[in-house]
Amino acid sequence: MIPTHYFLILSAILFTIGVVGVLTRKNGITIFMCIELMVNAVNLTFLAYARQFHDLHGLMFVFFIMAIAAAEAAVGLAIFISLFHHRDTIDVDEANLMHW
Amino acid sequence: MVEFAIFFLFAAIAVIFALVVVLHRNPVVGALSLVASFFALAVMYVLLEAPFLAALQVIVYAGAIMVLFLFVIMLLNLQHVAEPTTRPIQQFLGYTSGAAFGIGLIYFLLKYAVFSAGPEGPFRADARAIGIRMFEAYVFPFEMVSILLLAAIVGALTLSGRGAGVRSAFDSRGTEVSK
Repeated sequence: MIPTHYFLILSAILFTIGVVGVLTRKNGITIFMCIELMVNAVNLTFLAYARQFHDLHGLMFVFFIMAIAAAEAAVGLAIFISLFHHRDTIDVDEANLMHW
Repeated sequence: MVEFAIFFLFAAIAVIFALVVVLHRNPVVGALSLVASFFALAVMYVLLEAPFLAALQVIVYAGAIMVLFLFVIMLLNLQHVAEPTTRPIQQFLGYTSGAAFGIGLIYFLLKYAVFSAGPEGPFRADARAIGIRMFEAYVFPFEMVSILLLAAIVGALTLSGRGAGVRSAFDSRGTEVSK
C-alpha cells in the first residue's frame, strides 16, 4: 500500500503547475485548463485522505466536484465563445470591460 | 513493489503532461496533454482503491469535459492563432511566486498534515457503497446538482448564442461592439 503522503506531494506538484499556468499564460482557454488541473489535484487529495481514514465522504465530495466542474466548464467555455464573438480574441488581457 | 513502480510511472506521466499544458503555445496540444494527465490521475484513483471514481474520471473528465474544450478550440479556430508573449515581469513574478507557493505547500504538508494511521481492514469504495451513501445521506445535494446542471445548460445556451441579452450587456457602453 502506497503511503498517503506520496499522493499528497503529487497533488501539491500538480496544483503548483496549475497555479503557475494561471499566473503566466494569457490564452483564456489555457488558463481554464490549468484551473481544471488544480481541481483534479484537490480531488486526488480528497481520495488520498478518504482511503487513509476509510471515509466515504471524501469520495462523495469528489463526485460532486466532478459534476460542478462539468457545469463550470460549460458556462466558462460559453463565456469564452461570447468573448470571442465580440473581441475576436480570447486573450484575457483584452477582456477589460470592467477596467475603467 | 510493483505498486510503487506503477505509482511513479504514472505520477511522472501526470506531471510531465501537466507541464506541457502550461508551457506549450498551442492550445490543442495543451488540451490533448491534459487528457493524458487525467488518464494518469485515473490510474492514481485505482491505486487509491476508488475504481468507480477512476471510471468517472475517464468518462466525465477525459471524455466529456476535455472534448468540450477541444471542440471550443476547434470552433474558434484557435490552433493557428499565435498567443502574444507574456510580459517578462509577469513571467518572472508568476514563476517565482508559483515556485515559492509550491515549496511552501509541500513543506507545510510534510510538517503539519495528519498522517495518523486510519482504521484497519479493507476499504470498500466501489459503486455499490457510493450509491448507497449517495441516496441515503447525500440525496439533497444530488438533487441540487441536477438543478445546477440545468442552470448551467440554460446559462451556456444564453451566453454562447448570439442572443440579445449578452449583446446588450456588451453594448451598454456604446462603443464596445463594432460589428
